[in-house]
Amino acid sequence: MSSIIKAKDLRRSFGPVHALDGVDLDIPAGRIVGLIGPNGAGKTTALKAILGLSSYQGELSVLGLDPARERDHLMQDVCFIADVAVLPRWARVRQIVDLTEQLHPNFSRERCLHYLKATQIRPDSKIRALSKGMIVQLHLALVMSIKARLLVLDEPTLGLDILFRKRFYSNLLNEYFDEERTIVITTHQVEEVEHILTDLIFIKDGKLIVNESMESIHERYTEVMVRPDQLEAAKALGPLHERVLFGRHILLFNEPDREKLEALGEIHRPSVADLFVALMGEKE
Amino acid sequence: MNTRTLNSLWMLMRREVWESPFAFKWAPLCIGGLIILFTVVMLILGARFDSDMAFTLDAVRMFADMPTDQKRLVVSGFLFASSNLFLQVMILVILFFLAGSLYDDRKDRSILFWKSLPISDTLTISSKLATAALMVPALFLGAIILTHLALLLIASGYALVAGINPFTNLWWPASLPRLWTVMAAGLVVQALWLMPIYAWLLFCSSWAPRLPILIAVAIPAGFSIAQHSYSLISGFKLPELNLGLIMLKRLGTGVLPGNANIDMDSGFDNIQFSEDLYMSFANVGAHLIKPEMWVGLAIAAVLIAGAIFFRRRATDN
Repeated sequence: MSSIIKAKDLRRSFGPVHALDGVDLDIPAGRIVGLIGPNGAGKTTALKAILGLSSYQGELSVLGLDPARERDHLMQDVCFIADVAVLPRWARVRQIVDLTEQLHPNFSRERCLHYLKATQIRPDSKIRALSKGMIVQLHLALVMSIKARLLVLDEPTLGLDILFRKRFYSNLLNEYFDEERTIVITTHQVEEVEHILTDLIFIKDGKLIVNESMESIHERYTEVMVRPDQLEAAKALGPLHERVLFGRHILLFNEPDREKLEALGEIHRPSVADLFVALMGEKE
Repeated sequence: MNTRTLNSLWMLMRREVWESPFAFKWAPLCIGGLIILFTVVMLILGARFDSDMAFTLDAVRMFADMPTDQKRLVVSGFLFASSNLFLQVMILVILFFLAGSLYDDRKDRSILFWKSLPISDTLTISSKLATAALMVPALFLGAIILTHLALLLIASGYALVAGINPFTNLWWPASLPRLWTVMAAGLVVQALWLMPIYAWLLFCSSWAPRLPILIAVAIPAGFSIAQHSYSLISGFKLPELNLGLIMLKRLGTGVLPGNANIDMDSGFDNIQFSEDLYMSFANVGAHLIKPEMWVGLAIAAVLIAGAIFFRRRATDN
């Protein structure tokens, strides 16, 4: 299967800070990739490079194009929603739909009006007058009406309430995603995207810490809630991380011997959030 | 350039009108409204002093007795003069529009939306220039034409009351098609003449971290002052070539399609008021063969290339 995004030794520095420090990526079609990292880890820098919005060193090809030099061609097949509402505030909803229709060859007006009908957004409203949630809904309706091969979402639900966030992801999954399309999401609200991701990338200080499919992550990492009397034995197996919940010790292991662990306590599949804390948290 | 590119360019120009409806549409219409309001108020005041309209109607009849040449000069000259205010406001509108055109979307981050469309940075910048050079002049000319028609209609009312034929005495001497065509051609030539100024503003707008219009003024002003100070300190006479003065002169000679015909350097004493000042295709066309025109266009090309360079790298911060 051909790669949608392929990067080799991608680098970008701001003075002494390495925002991207030798990143390799190979994302095939039909995936939903979560790009997760703490603030300032290089997520947005990576996305900007992919979208042709900033320069970089190293090799990068998105849909077979060089994003920095061929952004206008690339954008025929790529859509993105940035972390805050970036639709021009002076425009009316109707004007934005007209504009996108005229300027984007892969845009379907019917689909967009269909999505907008389900919202409270009126065609004559000014964007300035819409709430933040409505602007994100409008942007999502625009983007979902474009037949794109890659959708990039940079903190799309930041500042929205939980009802909006749930609806946002269910719309995306039910009405938009298929095996031809690829979605890359960055977010801090890991729990909300966890169940829709097919691939997980952790990034920290410009380096990829994890870059694997969810299946292989589930196979690889195991969490054990250790019985108190087995704590020493469990620690001897070299856990990646240890946390305490209601007095019980929970240990995270990388590629453990499952039979040994089962003897020590209850085995869980770690959540992405726990994994994030274990792998990205400051080492004590 | 294929149809899709042209179509996109047209859409991007329309979007500029959507973004600034007041400056581009309502401002020229308001000026026209003010001119007509002013005319009507003057006529009403006149009617109060001249209660049975005897003097006014006499004046109209005297006008009708003038030779055709002079009638032509009076009517078309008056109509041309009435468009001065439009054209001066238009230049201000264009200058402020260009200074903000590549800056405002960086400030409010909507550049991320514009850059998510499959539109090249070159086309974006072309659309800004075409808006300044063609779209805004066309809208202002539209308002000028409406104002001309309204003024002629009012005058026709007086002519009918005075018992003279408004068509042979007003509409025909006004030579509207010629007047409007020369103005349209003049506006295009004016845009080419001012292109280095336009390109300079666009260039500043493409990279200025804040207040692009101030930066665009401060750089040439700073240059001029430094140049002046240096020549004062070093005891030389003031230099002939001064960047700030050159730019001001460009603007000054470009404010009206007609007044670029006036030779600023030889003073204003030998100006003859005649149709040549405002209704001559030859005079408008003469600017195209001036070397200054082509030097200016070459400078503009460099500045526009610079603006595209910075726009390509611009994001929201």
